[in-house]
Amino acid sequence: MRVVIAEDSVLLREGLVRLLDDAGIETVATVGDGPGLPPVVAEHRPDLAIVDVRMPPSFTDEGLRAALAARERVPGTPILVLSQYVEERYATDLIGGGAEGVGYLLKERVSEVGEFIDAVRRIAAGGTVIDPEVIGQLLGRRRTGDPLEALTPREREVLALMAEGRSNGAIAAHLVVTEGAVEKHISNIFAKLGLQPAQGGHRRVMAVLTYLGHRDR
Amino acid sequence: MSALSITRRGTVATGAWRPARMLGSSLTWTSAVYLGLSFFFGLAYFIGLVVGIAVSGALTIIWIGFPLLVLMMLAWRAAAMMERRLVGLAFGVRIRDPYRPLPKGANPFPKLKAMVFDPATWKDLIYLALRFPIGLVEFLASVLMWALTGTLLFLPLIVAIGGGTEVNVGVVSYWAGNPLQALPMSVIGAALLVGAVYVTRTMAIAHALYATFLLGPNASQAENRELRAKTEHLRASRARGVDAVEFERRRIERDLHDGAQQRLLAVAMDIGRARAKLDNDPEGARDLIEQAHAGTREAIQELRDLARGIYPAILTDRGLDPALSGLAGRAPVPVEVTVDLPERPPAAVESIAYFIVAESLANIAKYAEATRATVRVAREDSWVVVEIIDDGVGGAVVRPDGGLAGLADRAATIDGMVIVDSPPGGPTIVRADLPCSW
Repeated sequence: MRVVIAEDSVLLREGLVRLLDDAGIETVATVGDGPGLPPVVAEHRPDLAIVDVRMPPSFTDEGLRAALAARERVPGTPILVLSQYVEERYATDLIGGGAEGVGYLLKERVSEVGEFIDAVRRIAAGGTVIDPEVIGQLLGRRRTGDPLEALTPREREVLALMAEGRSNGAIAAHLVVTEGAVEKHISNIFAKLGLQPAQGGHRRVMAVLTYLGHRDR
Repeated sequence: MSALSITRRGTVATGAWRPARMLGSSLTWTSAVYLGLSFFFGLAYFIGLVVGIAVSGALTIIWIGFPLLVLMMLAWRAAAMMERRLVGLAFGVRIRDPYRPLPKGANPFPKLKAMVFDPATWKDLIYLALRFPIGLVEFLASVLMWALTGTLLFLPLIVAIGGGTEVNVGVVSYWAGNPLQALPMSVIGAALLVGAVYVTRTMAIAHALYATFLLGPNASQAENRELRAKTEHLRASRARGVDAVEFERRRIERDLHDGAQQRLLAVAMDIGRARAKLDNDPEGARDLIEQAHAGTREAIQELRDLARGIYPAILTDRGLDPALSGLAGRAPVPVEVTVDLPERPPAAVESIAYFIVAESLANIAKYAEATRATVRVAREDSWVVVEIIDDGVGGAVVRPDGGLAGLADRAATIDGMVIVDSPPGGPTIVRADLPCSW
């Protein structure tokens, strides 16, 4: 598996390279700013691009825009965006370009090495991984007459885990219930929110995230 | 005449002094009407003021006198406003309302206080009081002059309709038995007419100057006063701004010292102990490393929250709406956010608005025992209004060194205000008006 990394902090960049190397993942190129990313992605066609949100020259959401530009250059390139802060709006921007092979995680998740490598592999395989904090924010913002109010606490848990991009099996393991129970919860959730029951991990995540991100706009 | 500001049709002080031009000018005739009616207006104002002020003054023995006095003040201000319009119509002189701007809001008391302390209110009163004697002079002069002029000018007509007429002016008397005999008087009347126009115009200019002086803004004084007030205001708001920044820096230093620094120190100690145990007690070392790892995570989280507290990156990138949505999402109670701004306000306004919401939501989480809150940001005229309402227990007070006071200080640096309305039992409303010039 081959990755490119866009990250302006040398310390973190080298740390990432080593951490991936320990897991047998090869880093084929690194860049230190936003505009450098799309050409490198076009050149190396990596299995995954790991991108820091805040980079030169503008130090705002440079990385996010670079990632989206890279995905335009080479459609289908899996992208993992790392950020010091997670912001729901960035997540919805990112997902707006399709949720297949997209990840958005807090930078500090890197220190949970096992989980991080697992996320990297899932995204490279076309899955979706969204930081629990983003989901928490999206779920936390309630409005009057919100259909989310109709969900049971257990259904809300399942919805959050589903939005993070976990599979039914992983959700079942996390909640210590059977997969059948999870499936039942999910079909209830989709019915209550008025969503089309979607098959396949990323399509399902997309539906949920779109719903969460756009119910107030 | 620089003292008189000019409307589109000119003023009584502008234009040629040729009789023909003056006779053809509508200003001459509107002036004549105004001066001719002057006495009645003057009398009405005078009686109104004398009776009104005497009655309400006497009634201040019981409470009703005070509202009556307030009503009197409102009435004379209204009369002065009407006078400005009338003077504009009659003499073509535009007099701008000189009043200081009244404070915003629905509460009438600050408004009334501002009126009482506005010198323009009292200049209005002087104008209206003087209107009576001045009006009397204007009226007598006008009426006598125009009556004589009119009579002589139209004497042939009067004689033709009403028969022989005797004209008496002082000791001179003249008998006109038929229209022909009245014609010489017409000639004298025409000469008087020219004189009357000159006199009318002179009186009009005098009245316009008197009105401009008492009803209009007094340029140099007003400017000086305004500059002085502005300087004082700026000095105060600068001091508050400096204090707010200092307070903020102390808070950041304290947070770093009490939080992340201590945590990292603990992590360093754990790792040091783990290193010592590595050979003899690998199991214990593993536990310590685990503990250190958890410690670093906590330190990172703390630094993250602190940095976000200093300045949230999303605010720069995307503006208030997403930044406030993020705040709301992290709040412990459901928060409804509506941001309705046509475009992004200046950065200073955005950041102050953000921190007002952040501080209010933090207070709600800490003290309010609320079940829900709403945040509204909207543009009203040239203001950005930020409103945070919760249904908690109320009773919030702005303490001199508290967070809300700091916010008010920060808002003051850009001439904004923060109002906290929190009766016991709730609801609590925190409202900030931030000036905004796009």
